[in-house]
Order: sequence, then C-alpha cells, then structure tokens
Amino acid sequence: MSEEVSTQKPTSLWRDAWRRLLKNKLAVFGLCVLVFMVVAVIVGPYIVKAATGFSYDTMPTDGNLARSMPPSLQHPMGTDDAGRDLLARVLQGGRISLMVGIISTLVSLLIGVSYGAIAGYLGGFIDNVMMRIVDIFYSIPYILIVIVLLAVFGGPSTPEWIKWLSTNIGGAGNQGLSQIFLLFFALGLVSWLTMARVVRGQVLTLKNQEFVLAAKATGVSTFGIIFRHLIPNTLGPVIVYATLTIPSVMLTEAFLSFLGLGVQPPYASWGSLAADGIKNLAIFPWQLIAPGVTMALTLFSLNFLGDGLRDALDPQTRKF
Amino acid sequence: MLSFIIRRTLIIIPMALIVVTLTWGLVRLAPGNFYTGEKKLPAAIEANIKKKYGLDQPWYTQYGMMMSNIIRGDFGDSVKYQGQSVNEIITRHLPYSATIGILGYLLALLIGLSAGTFAALKQNSSFDYGSMSLAMLGLSVPNFVLGPLLVLVFSFWLYWLPPARWGGIAGLILPVCTLAAIYAAYIARLTRAGMLEVLRSDYIRTARAKGLDEKTVLFRHALRGGLVPVLSFTGPALAALLAGTVVVEKVFAIPGLGNIFIQSVFNRDEPLILGIVAFLSILIMVFNLIVDVCYGFLDPRIRYE
Amino acid sequence: MENRTSSCNNRLLALFLLWTTALGLVGCSTSASSKYFGRTSPPSDNVLRYVTGSEPETLDPQLPDGQPEARIFMALYEGLVEYGPKDQQPIPALAKSWEISPKVDEFIFHLRQDAKWSDGKPITANDFVYSLRRGFSPETTSRTAGLGYAIKYSEDFNGEKVFIKKDGRFLTEADLEPTPAKPSTPFGPETEFRKFMQSPTRLTIYGDEKKRTKVLDGDEKLKALVQGAEFVPIEGKDIGVEAIDDYTLRITLKQSAPYFLGLFAHQFFRLVPQHAIEKHGKDWTRPENIVTNGPFKIKEYRPYDRLIVERDPNYWDAKNVHLDRIDFYPVEENSTILNLYKAGSIDAFLNHTVPSSWINEVRQYKDEYLDFPEAATAYYSMNTTKPPFDNVKVRRAFLLGLDREALSKFRKITQPLYGKVPQGSFPDYAKAAAKVGEEIRNEKGIAADAWEKRYKFDPETARKLLTEAGFPVVKNGDQFECPTFPVDRLAINFNTNENNKSVAEFLQAQWKRNLGVTVPLKTMEFKTYLPFFKSLQYEGFAQFLWSGDYMDPYTFLSLQYGKDNEGAAGFYDPKYDKLLDDANVELDAQKRYELMARAEEYLMEQLPMIPLTVNATNWMKKPYVKGMYPNPGTLLPWKFVYIERNPAKWDKDVANIMNVPDAQVDQQLADLVSTQKAAQK
Repeated sequence: MSEEVSTQKPTSLWRDAWRRLLKNKLAVFGLCVLVFMVVAVIVGPYIVKAATGFSYDTMPTDGNLARSMPPSLQHPMGTDDAGRDLLARVLQGGRISLMVGIISTLVSLLIGVSYGAIAGYLGGFIDNVMMRIVDIFYSIPYILIVIVLLAVFGGPSTPEWIKWLSTNIGGAGNQGLSQIFLLFFALGLVSWLTMARVVRGQVLTLKNQEFVLAAKATGVSTFGIIFRHLIPNTLGPVIVYATLTIPSVMLTEAFLSFLGLGVQPPYASWGSLAADGIKNLAIFPWQLIAPGVTMALTLFSLNFLGDGLRDALDPQTRKF
Repeated sequence: MLSFIIRRTLIIIPMALIVVTLTWGLVRLAPGNFYTGEKKLPAAIEANIKKKYGLDQPWYTQYGMMMSNIIRGDFGDSVKYQGQSVNEIITRHLPYSATIGILGYLLALLIGLSAGTFAALKQNSSFDYGSMSLAMLGLSVPNFVLGPLLVLVFSFWLYWLPPARWGGIAGLILPVCTLAAIYAAYIARLTRAGMLEVLRSDYIRTARAKGLDEKTVLFRHALRGGLVPVLSFTGPALAALLAGTVVVEKVFAIPGLGNIFIQSVFNRDEPLILGIVAFLSILIMVFNLIVDVCYGFLDPRIRYE
Repeated sequence: MENRTSSCNNRLLALFLLWTTALGLVGCSTSASSKYFGRTSPPSDNVLRYVTGSEPETLDPQLPDGQPEARIFMALYEGLVEYGPKDQQPIPALAKSWEISPKVDEFIFHLRQDAKWSDGKPITANDFVYSLRRGFSPETTSRTAGLGYAIKYSEDFNGEKVFIKKDGRFLTEADLEPTPAKPSTPFGPETEFRKFMQSPTRLTIYGDEKKRTKVLDGDEKLKALVQGAEFVPIEGKDIGVEAIDDYTLRITLKQSAPYFLGLFAHQFFRLVPQHAIEKHGKDWTRPENIVTNGPFKIKEYRPYDRLIVERDPNYWDAKNVHLDRIDFYPVEENSTILNLYKAGSIDAFLNHTVPSSWINEVRQYKDEYLDFPEAATAYYSMNTTKPPFDNVKVRRAFLLGLDREALSKFRKITQPLYGKVPQGSFPDYAKAAAKVGEEIRNEKGIAADAWEKRYKFDPETARKLLTEAGFPVVKNGDQFECPTFPVDRLAINFNTNENNKSVAEFLQAQWKRNLGVTVPLKTMEFKTYLPFFKSLQYEGFAQFLWSGDYMDPYTFLSLQYGKDNEGAAGFYDPKYDKLLDDANVELDAQKRYELMARAEEYLMEQLPMIPLTVNATNWMKKPYVKGMYPNPGTLLPWKFVYIERNPAKWDKDVANIMNVPDAQVDQQLADLVSTQKAAQK
C-alpha cells in the first residue's frame, strides 16, 4: 500500500481528505441529506406553490378553515393553527434556519479562529488582554444585545448592507427579513467567543511542538506560523466545534423564538415552528413533528458529516 | 503559577466594572423604560418617577452615581419590584438556579464523560454508534421541546412526577434531566474526540510501550489529556447554563435567577440587570480562571509564564 | 470493513428508531376525553390554589397597575366599595352605605364601625384621608394616581403645582376668565373644608420654576396676573378628601363624574396602613411588617414561588370568608399553567390563558371552561398623521375590507367589535346607542339595512373607496392587486405577547385577498413596542389592547379624548371632546349614554382606529370551586369563593353560571347590599 502511494504523485491534503470522506458512508449519507435539504428549501417552496397553490403565508380567510388540520393529501404535513400548509412553512423555515446556522457559524469561524489562534500563539500580555476581552463579551447577556440590535437597527434604521443582503439572499426585501439578517449577525457575534477559546486552547497545546519550533527556526513569519502551520492543525477540533456551533446557533435562534424575539411573522424558522408546535403537542402533534423531525434530521446529518470530515481531515489519523 | 492566579484574580473586578458599564450603555440604548406600560402615564406622574429615580439628571451624573454605588457593593433597589434590594433578590433566587444547574451539569458530566470515554475506547463498536447517535439526538432537540415532552410522558401518561413548580425531589427530576440532556450530549462528543486524539498520541504509545497496564494508561495519562476540550467547554457552558435554565425555569415555573434575569431585561429593571450581570460576570471569570489553571495541571504541554 | 457496514446499519437503525418514536407519539397523544379536564378532586384543606399571572411588583396597592396584583390586593386590602362577584358593580365594603350629590361631584361614605386592621387597630375615616393623600403625593410615584384626578386638586398636588396668592387672596379661574359663580347646593354637614372645596376653583401653576416660566412665556395674560404673586405649594390637605367625623368621609370632585363610584373599588383607592408605613418606611410591605385590612392576611411569601394568604380573624366580615387559605402561584407560561391545572395542582387560573389552539379541545369540558365577554377590546390604531392613512377613505377601506366575523371564528373566543365600546358589557348603553343610531339614520335618510351594515365586511365598497382615494384596485385573474399602495413604508405593528401574532397574520391575509394589499408585519418586544407606538413612530397599523379601568363606556370612549391621547393615532378632534364633555355633565344616566353614543358614532365616522374584537374571559376553574364568576374584568371578590365537597353540588355547564342561583352566594350578597339599600330608603 505505502509503496503504491509513493509511486503516485503526492496527493494534496484536501484531495486525500475528500477521498477518505467518500469512504465514510454515514458522512456521505449526511452530505446527501444536507444537499437534499439545501436544494429542497431553495426550490421546494416554488414546487409546493406550483403543485398545491400554498405558500408559507397562504391563510384561509374564512375563519372556520383557519385551524389545525391533520396531514392529508392536500397538506402532506398538515396545517398550523392558522390553517397554513405546514410543508410550505417547513420549507421556508428551513431557508431561515439553515441561513442562521451557516451565516452565524461562518461569522464565528472567521472571527473566532483567527482571534483564538493569534491569542494562543502570541501568548503573554497580548493573550491576556485578548482573552479578557473575550471574558467581557461573555459576561454581557446576549439577550440584551439582541434586543438592542433589533430595536436600534430594526425597522426604518436598518443598515443598507443588511437590506441588500436580505434582498439578494433572502429573496424578498422587506422589514421582516432584514430583521432576520440582523439576528444572524447578532448570533454570529455572540458565538465566536467559544470558538476563540477552543482554538486558543488547541494552539496552546500545539505551539511548543517540534513542527512549530522547526518553522520558527527556519524563519517563517509569525503570521505564516499562525495561518499556515497552526490553524490547519487545529482544523479537526474546529470542524467538530463548527458542527456543534451550527446546531447550537439554530437552537439559540429557537430559544429566541420561544421568547418571542426570533424571526418576524409570517416567516418562520424550524425553531419557531417547533416553539409553536410544542404548545399543541398533546392535541396537534404533527405541528411539532413536522418541523422537529426535519430539524433533527438536518442536525443529525450535520453532525455525521462533521464527524466524517474530522476523521478525513485529521492529519494524525493518517498514521493508522 | 501563583503569580498568574493572583494577577488574574486582581483583574476580575475592573473587568466586571467594564462589563457593567457596557451593559448599562445597552440598557440605555434599548427603547422603553421600567415604567412604560400598556396605559399611558400622565406627564406629571412620569415626572415624579423620573425625579425619584434621578432620571432627570444628565447621563454622566447618573452613570457616576450608579458606579459609585456599585463600587461600594450596593446595587440599590429593583425599580420594578419596589422595596426589594437587588442583593436580596440575587441571594434569594440564586439557590434555585444553582441547584438545577449544578445537578444538571453533574448529571451531564457523569453521562457524557463515561459515554464519551467508552465510545472512544471501543471506537466503531455498536456502543460507540449507539451512544453517539443518542448524543446527536440530544443536540438536535431544543430543551423547550424536551421539557414539555418529558412532562407529557411522566406527568400525564404515567402520572409519576409533578408537571411544574418547585418542591421536593420529585419536582427536581424533570427539570434536571431536561437541562442535562444537551450538555451530556456535548460532553460525550467532546470527550470522545479528545480521547481519540490522545489515545493516538505518542506519549500514550510510550506509556503503553513502557508496559503500563491499560487502567493506568487510561486514568493517569489518557483521561487527563482527553479532558482538555471538555474543560474549555465547561467555562462557557456554565455561563450558557443561565440561558439554559431560563427555558427550564419557564417551562417548570421555577423561581430561579435565570428567568428573573430575562424578565429584568424585558422589564428594563436597570439595577437588577446590572446587579445580575455583575454577579454573573464575576462568576464566569472565576470559572474561566479555574479552567485555565486546570489546563496547566491536565496538560503538561501548557505553561504559564 | 465487515464491522463498519454492520455499525453503519446500527446508525441507520438508530435513525429509524427516532422516526418511529416520533410517530409513536402521534398515535398515543390523542387521549380519550373524560368528563373533566385532568385530575379533579377538591384539595384536602379548605384552600384555593390560584395562578394569578406574573409575580406581583409589590404588595403596596397604590403603586402597581397590573391585573395580577389587583387580584391579590382584593384578598389583602379593602376599600370603600368592592367589585360585585358577578357584574363588578360596586357593593359595600368598608363603607356600609353612601350618598351621592345630585351633580355627582360629591360622595359621602358612612363607614363601618367594626372594621379593624389585621393588627387589631380600628379603621376610621382618617385612614382614608391618609391613604388618598399618600396616593396622590408625588413622592409615592403611584402609576395609577391618574385614575383619581377627578378628585379636586389631586392632579395639582400630584403634579407639584402651587396656588397663586396675590394681595392676600388666592387667584381663581374667574380671574383669568370671568365665569358665572356656580351656586353650591347643600350636601351633608357644612364644614370649613367644604366651604374651601365649594369656593371658586383656584388657579394653579407649576411649582418648578423652569416649567412655570415656560408656561408663563406662552401666556401673556397669566404672566401679568401672576406678576408679584406669592406661590403656595399645594399639599395633601388641599385635595378633596375630608373626614367629617371618625366614620364619615366626604370626597369632592372637580367636576361631575358619573362613573366615579365604580372606581372606588380600584386598588389605588384601597386602604394603606398609616401606622405601619410610618414605622417601617419602604419596608412596610415585607411579610414581617405588613398590616392589611382585607378578608385575608399574609401567611407566607416566597417571591416568584408562592404567596399564601390566610383568613384574617380581625376582618369585620370574617365569618363570611369561606376559604381558610388562598395560595397564589406566580406562573407566566400558559402551557405550564394548563399543565398544573390538568395535573390537579391548581384549582383555577387567570383570564386569557388557554391558548387559542386549545380552545376547541378545552371547550368540551363544559363544567370548567369560562368563555364570557370581557370589558376589554382589541383595536388597530392607524397613524392618521402620515399618508396614506391621513385619508379617512383609506381608513374606511381597511375597515370594510376586513371580515371581523371570520376573525372571531378564527380566534374562537372573541366576538367581532363593530364600535368603540364593547357590546355585551353595558346593556343600558347598548339600548341608548340603538336609539341614537335610529335618530341619526333618520336625520341622514339612510335605509335601515344599509345602516345596519355600515361598518361591516364589504370588500366591494372597500375596493371602491381605496380606488377613490387614489390607489386603484385592479383584478388580476382571481386575485386583486393594488400596485400603487405604498406597502413598503407601512407595517402592521404589534408586540410579541401571545396571540397578537396570529391576529396580525390573519389580518394580513384578509387584506391581501380583499384589497390586494400585503402589509408587512413587524413584531417587537413589549417595552420596545410601547414607546414606538405611543410616540407615533409607526406607519400604518399598530395593535392596541384596552381593558376598561371601570365599568362605564367612558373608559373606552376617552381613549381618543384630548390631545396626545391614549389611542396614539395622531387623532385629536375638539368636536369629539365637546361631545364627551357634554355627556359627562349630563346627570340623567340614560341621557348621558345617548350623548355618549353620539360621540361614539362621530368617532366611528372619523375612524382613527379599526375595532377588531371584544375579548373573552377565557379561563378555567375546577367544578368544585364555587362562588367564583367570570365577571368582565376577572376581578374576583375572594370572600364569596368556597370549595364544594359534594360532587352533586358541583358547577355544571358553566356557560349558564351567571343565571344559576347559588343560595349561599346570593344570601351573602343580599346581606352586604342591604345596608346601602336601607340607607337609600
């Protein structure tokens, strides 16, 4: 085996990882489910609209029809308490939930990884100051940050770039959606802290190892050491953390929905649908099960994929 | 090491004051006031209230007064719950949150650590997959869903446990389990990942090569290194437990500090918000300090200058 | 490799199990319905366990304005009168009888001589004088003091104003604007204080120099008048409350206020203990210091957990207090409250608590679910200061384009609201309104059926009105479109509290279908919403809930009264104010109602708000709890409540509860009211 490899031209780390990933059936399964989910939430609403005429906000205007109906051919997932098609709502809610997870996690990765790595590597006074700043941010209640952000930047005073994002990514530019985008950034700004701590912890254990010392000795710049040598070596835990961050951000969004601070109606997220559904658990269980199972399946897949990526990317596993 | 601990301890108080200042700014930025209600107040009454609480003073005077009081350890009275001091509210309600929080986290540690370690030792076994699937299930269910589900099953189908309110050990079971679920899942996954990493490392192989028996390798060497990720999670987790307890306190109607804090934010009860934030920030910083100190003990590769 | 595949199967199996568990839940959860909702057996002690909503702000009755507190105060404190159990009309409490002056601007109360505080100290008229002076004192910062502003000089005292003394006498309003002196009719014993009260109303002005200068700079005439005058601060002793003797109290209003008697049951007017307040200062409400005078006194108080009150043996009517104890639990989460009720841990809970999706389920329990009209209404205010809602045609179009019948069916527990005043709560007013409506119809020569339908759902007229207003509605396929309507600036604004969301979503769907206008929704956290709404920062619609402060239509009609009014629609119309002023000086009750009905009709023509629904009480009680009635404000006089242990006597079919006689309650009520009846004869 090792002889074969040595005769081939050397494979890059990423190509190698990708090959390993494809070998992991569960990761592939997770990836497939995720791709399916992404495609479904992107095109699904249009298909449902075309096939049945329901969109996420189609509500019967007759008061008698505006009520919870169990799953049927017309409404495969049943309806919510206002008589709206749950399938259409779950698909639309998926857009928001996935965006919450992905955008906020990207924000947290971007800030958290570089921040943590710099703090951990430089050490000493700078590390001290940087980590104290993280501590300070930790201690400010994020509920307060969210309320202030939504109140100060919501409505007419929404910054233009957020409006632009919500128009171009969200598909419809109005006040309701720009609020959601504000929420993404608020959540991202809160969740990078953990990432920074984790990466710093990781870098602390790595920075005294031989390969770093060697790089230092050969005159690699500090910037180079951090971003070329240290960060790639923290990828394993970072990916595990990122896969934990996505669900935790989605859950935080759900928690805010539970408190009434999440997405703006008539939009929904999986979290807000579940928060609504839980109230009716004993009488209209499908209202929890439809969004709940979809959300759980997605998070499951994310975690499977994260594990697979970890196994594939971790340079240490190649020794076995 | 000792000087490191002293330095970090000394810095906690000024940092808490920075946190209080930032929070104060946020509260002032948020619209609404503690006295805004559904019904409009006559101008005279609003003026009376402003006068009583010094809100008619310029902001820097108000800030100065607030800070000088806080430095003296006096957070004043809650403006919503009149006649109750902030210190009194915190000491009265902290035990409720602490009880479910600590019990929940201990339960989570117990489950998470053992499940994670075993899963790592028996990687790719059915126990590994079973426990990790369960952990993922734990991660994918919000606790405001899990709580009512448990109530439905244990209070209304089986009639074993009370559905809500504080009182007795029976009343603790459901909230603690609800709280523990998600943390157990996190910890199990982190322990497994950390342990796998360590089990493959050179020093474990050296230890094995030295002929140490498996138990010693596991408990004296591997577990120590494998715990590092769990540790760095514990500091933030204890902070996040506050948010976690909010849902549990709401669902189970428990008079804990978490719920009171959220309410104080919604009520714009400034002294109470600042008091709780100051208290919690100190708590979190102390936890983080302990975590950092533990790093040093657990992982000999980390050094503090 | 082998191992890998099988474990992979294991994982898939785990996944499959998750799905089936989830589906299994569906199967089991819909349980068979029984006669009662959950566990139903009376508590072993003679105690009522009640959830009253959020944690009380304080136990000082003069400070908070919330309903949860109001119910607790009804157990702990008593005032001159108490709310009647069924209709919330005033019944004797500490006052055993009263007289009202013909102009309804003076009240004389005859107090009971056997009433005592919980520490045994007797209650006299001086306690009332103290309580009211304290309530209006600026230092107390009572948020409800505004309700009593009709009491003479109370507003000036509360606003830290001063009398103006010049040349040895106080300036009066006549100095500013000559008005004929009103003759004083004798009422009760003539005293020095009454002479002061009946003397011409004195001029008052801000005590604070900055504010005073501001007022004076804007009023040359007043400035000249005040020149060189001396300012005398208004004190508590100047307000219109007088102890004629130890057991007779006189209250003087600045103008006639026919609704005022009912207000005396409000928590602001309940007695507070001078001796305890003076001894303990702000700590007087602590359980170890507190002194109360209601049917119950504090036994145990654990904030956010429980407030337990027990029967007070010193209470003057203690023999007619049936419960030994009431346990008040503060719980806010509605589903948690329902869970506690279902598990039999509580016996009853506050109003508006059953979530709308649960109504159909809960309604089956006919012996427990209380669905009665409330003196509470939901409106949408429209910002009339900004286009397009400055145009009454647009406002009307949105009113007519809304099927309120459908909204009520959708909400399941509300009735459509077609005017300003909730129908059902004020039967006499409804009669007057019908009469006035008929008169106006004849004046205008409108056909009877058209008149009947004038504010009801009529999408066609709505579209026509919108088109006339410059926003043409066009038909596109089977849908309507109104492309020029500026929806991007507008929003339906509401706060995040329960049920508001579903109402807003329903209205959005209605207007989308009927007018082709999709107004975006905007929800805000409660405290963020209120200033946004009240200061008219919103554009479009803003949701507005109002529950009456007292049982008179005026509490609803006054919402649009005066500049800067509660309604927050930017609406101010002197003509409307005049109509209401005229009504309030009318002494004949029926005529007054007719004048008010005219004002209401005028307001509906101007339409600064869209009336939506009359709320329903929407709460539950176990059938063994008796003497507890779904009155319009869910303000429950606790001494009527008792636990019935004989299942044969339990409440049945509570939809009819108001008409079913209960010998014990009826007798108790008759005994109480008899003192006032005797005095009237």
